[in-house]
Amino acid sequence: MIEALFAGLLAVLQWKAFTFMLAGIGLGFWVGLLPGLGGATTLALMLPFVYAMEPVEGFAFLLGMHAVVATTGDITSVLFGVPGEATTAATVLDGHAMAKKGEAGRALGAVLMSSLIGALVGAVALAAAIPVVRPLVLSFGSPELFMLAIVGLAFIASLSAQGGRGMLRGFLAGGFGLMIATVGQDPQAGIARYTFDSLYLWGGLDLVPVLIGIFAIPEIIDLAIRGTSIAGDVPRGRLNQGVLEGVKDTFRHFGLTLRCSLIGTFIGIMPGLGGAVAQWLAYGHATQSARNAEDRANFGRGDVRGVLGPGAANNSKEGGSLIPTVAFGVPGSSAMAILLGGFFVMGLVPGPDMLTKHLIVTFSMVWTIVIANIIAVGACFLFLNQLAGLTNVRGHVLIPVILVLVFIGSYTSNNHYGDVLVTLAFGGVGYLMVLSGWPRAPFVLGLVLGKIAENYLYISVARYDAEWLTRPIVLVLFAMAVAVILYPLVQGWRSRAKGETHA
Amino acid sequence: MHSKASLILGVAIMVLSGAAVIIALDWPWKAKLFPLVIGIPVFCLAMTEVLWCVFGAADRGGAMDFQISAHLPRKVVLVRSLRAAGWMIGFFGAIVLLGFPVAVPLFVLLYLKLQAQEGWGLSVAMTAAVWVFFYGLFDFLLHLPFPAGWIQTGLGLA
Repeated sequence: MIEALFAGLLAVLQWKAFTFMLAGIGLGFWVGLLPGLGGATTLALMLPFVYAMEPVEGFAFLLGMHAVVATTGDITSVLFGVPGEATTAATVLDGHAMAKKGEAGRALGAVLMSSLIGALVGAVALAAAIPVVRPLVLSFGSPELFMLAIVGLAFIASLSAQGGRGMLRGFLAGGFGLMIATVGQDPQAGIARYTFDSLYLWGGLDLVPVLIGIFAIPEIIDLAIRGTSIAGDVPRGRLNQGVLEGVKDTFRHFGLTLRCSLIGTFIGIMPGLGGAVAQWLAYGHATQSARNAEDRANFGRGDVRGVLGPGAANNSKEGGSLIPTVAFGVPGSSAMAILLGGFFVMGLVPGPDMLTKHLIVTFSMVWTIVIANIIAVGACFLFLNQLAGLTNVRGHVLIPVILVLVFIGSYTSNNHYGDVLVTLAFGGVGYLMVLSGWPRAPFVLGLVLGKIAENYLYISVARYDAEWLTRPIVLVLFAMAVAVILYPLVQGWRSRAKGETHA
Repeated sequence: MHSKASLILGVAIMVLSGAAVIIALDWPWKAKLFPLVIGIPVFCLAMTEVLWCVFGAADRGGAMDFQISAHLPRKVVLVRSLRAAGWMIGFFGAIVLLGFPVAVPLFVLLYLKLQAQEGWGLSVAMTAAVWVFFYGLFDFLLHLPFPAGWIQTGLGLA
């Protein structure tokens, strides 16, 4: 095993494999920065290029590219409030709020360092978990996966706003997101639901245009209203000083970073949940780590913990989602499904052979994730000060450039004008939500989870009738959901009681 | 501002979820299971929010999110919001009528000159830079299909 581990490292460091990995990293770097150009789409576009490559070279290229997309996607989210990737939307909430306070450098330092730690945790999990992961994956059937989705939604809905009223709005936003996810052809009966005879709506609403609209448009309008730069009146010198502070923040909250990395890895392992879910669960956990209601009120207004959680989770999930892909041929996400195609293109069959005959290739994947992330984060740190300086450029000069990126990003997700309209419409919804103090995070998680949750609910009911509700793991997850809902209420009640005692 | 916007959202979601539930009733159970399981609670929650807005105490709940520039007068916020929305809708209109390759440089130049009131030097330089980036990456390198606008198609120029 140890020999294979080192052989895997040596295989990646061969000049040819290393060069392909560098090419992949370069491509992934820009794909992550640009909104709309998704990591999964780019993987699909690059798949034909690996025909002539050896397996180690092919995976160095594909995984090298895919491993850094989430890392650089965070940069766009922090600087402009536009999610670079669907998996980096959660970073917008606190990352961009920090940029507006003149702490772009600190936010970038924190998100990059936590991304690196997340990637390393994911890679270690991949190396360590392959022999023991089988019982875990097999113990999670459709009922358990449906309940896991409900726990995730309960987590973010109950924690993303304050008090009973905030919780009501959180659940309402989450439910609205789930409802929007039902638009399109029903996967079971083939009925066109809420499509109003529009062919565009048959496939459902694409996540990218909705995400870009709901997050980017309100930020752009706010920038236009303020009439200043993103960082406002903060002097330029201060922007560049926080990078090291952001790195230190990662180690100050190392426990949180590690826990969120593990959340990302776990969600990655579970087939079908995907990276867009991991970041929100990690964000929910970060808010739950607040000591009291007052401490939690800082989230969404530029709390570095809200950057560290999603940053770590959306990179650690890569290692996690490789585990079922490599070990059973069951892809953990859409990107992994495309990567699975890469296995067959290069003449490999995922499964037990990857743990015996091709163990060196498997370990080369682990090393690719590690090395690609170290190189990408190192490269980002070189330009961090210049990137942070962008938040001091006059807003009126930035707005047309950001809008061009937003519209192109939205259009290129399906090459359809309907996507741009969807972005504008959900931009309006996002603006109203911000104006009325409704949390946007539960809406997005509801939208992400909608189709997955519906499939698992249908299979659970069709296969087990009502009996699925009595399965032990389902009961445990249900208890977790109830605890998650009650936790902020109890915490608020205790802090009020404490305040009255002091008074 | 909070309560009024919340009331609009609450009513809109109440109407949408109510309509969604009624429409779903006609479908086979496979198709209506999830819309009903979600739609009915969402309708009830939206109704609670609406009733809270109309009859409840002052709104003290805050989301973990940023707030639209609260320090500026409401009228200024409204005018600037509408102006920003107008530019976005105008840009979309230009894309449909003229296509991305023409609309992108036109929008950047007009925004910088009319809204940002920048000088000709910066406006032209930035417009050129954005166009080179757009054309170089999306057209030249990635060969993404950007259809011609309705005007070019109508005039037979496409």
